[in-house]
Amino acid sequence: MEQELPIIQIRNCLLVSIQTELHDRLALDLQASLMERVRAVNARGVILDVSAVEVIDSYITRILNDIGKSVRFMGADCYIVGIRPAVAMTLIEMGVELDSVSTALSLDLALERLELL
Amino acid sequence: MKTVEKEVGAILAGTISSITQRSIFNRLGGLATTPIQQLTPADRATILSELENSVRLFARSNSPQLIASITKALSAESGAAAAAAGGGGTAPTVAAPRQLPIEQEKDIATARLEAWSEAVRIGLSKFASVKVATAVSELARNIVFYAGKGFVELRSLKDDRGVIGLQIIATDQGPGIPATKLDEIWAGTYKSQRGMGKGLVAVKKLVDEFQLDTRPGVGTTVTCIFRGER
Repeated sequence: MEQELPIIQIRNCLLVSIQTELHDRLALDLQASLMERVRAVNARGVILDVSAVEVIDSYITRILNDIGKSVRFMGADCYIVGIRPAVAMTLIEMGVELDSVSTALSLDLALERLELL
Repeated sequence: MKTVEKEVGAILAGTISSITQRSIFNRLGGLATTPIQQLTPADRATILSELENSVRLFARSNSPQLIASITKALSAESGAAAAAAGGGGTAPTVAAPRQLPIEQEKDIATARLEAWSEAVRIGLSKFASVKVATAVSELARNIVFYAGKGFVELRSLKDDRGVIGLQIIATDQGPGIPATKLDEIWAGTYKSQRGMGKGLVAVKKLVDEFQLDTRPGVGTTVTCIFRGER
């Protein structure tokens, strides 16, 4: 079954809501199509909404960081929004860093910050 | 014909994310795709007790209404049988150790959800339950990535005062971890192709007790324990 995450454009930002299990192929496809879209629409930022993701382990963190890095290489910023409190606590305890992305509490706040850049 | 999955999915839509619904239905196995008319009273009881746990867990505030709607939907065809199964208080699920086979990526999500609901069931806090689920996710992922297949086993630990914690045993008969690699892993310098190379370190930090037994060519077993906060 072919699967692809929809990328939504809001003004000059790209939004992806992660509602499904990220695995290797899906993550790589997402990374590639995000980069293409960033270039095609001159996006200022990419926002990944993870509010539906109940557990983020080190593998998912790596995927998010990789996407963040590639987006930043292109000159756009990458925001992760909607990290759940328990997920944040767990990441801290694990000693895993989300250091290649910015974070914001909500989609609104991320858009606001990207607009102000 | 309406299947359990379709009917229940429609009720849960908007409250429980599709990713979580998927894992919930995976736990029902073949029952999820069985047409409602073909369910036996025993099937209904099984489905309801499974769904009740998951719905309580993921849709806390309005779970009674959801459970009521699900009960009603499942009994649509033969009300009496379902009422007997759902209304009379279903038997509590037995707390036998659960052994979950891990063979492909989708098993990781299932193991995670099982671990989560087991943690909630034995009374661990919400945060602790997410930690349990995350640790199981790491261990199951290691099995899929490096060993191909194996098992994750969940056991609640009891003493005379009741449940005191949850034990997780992840075991595989994969290649094992060579000593040099293990040194790198604990030193935090190991770089993995697919992940961060920090899965084991992360698990060790999350749990209260951690034991790793790995033999090159034989396999790896990780045993860890979460204790409830008292």
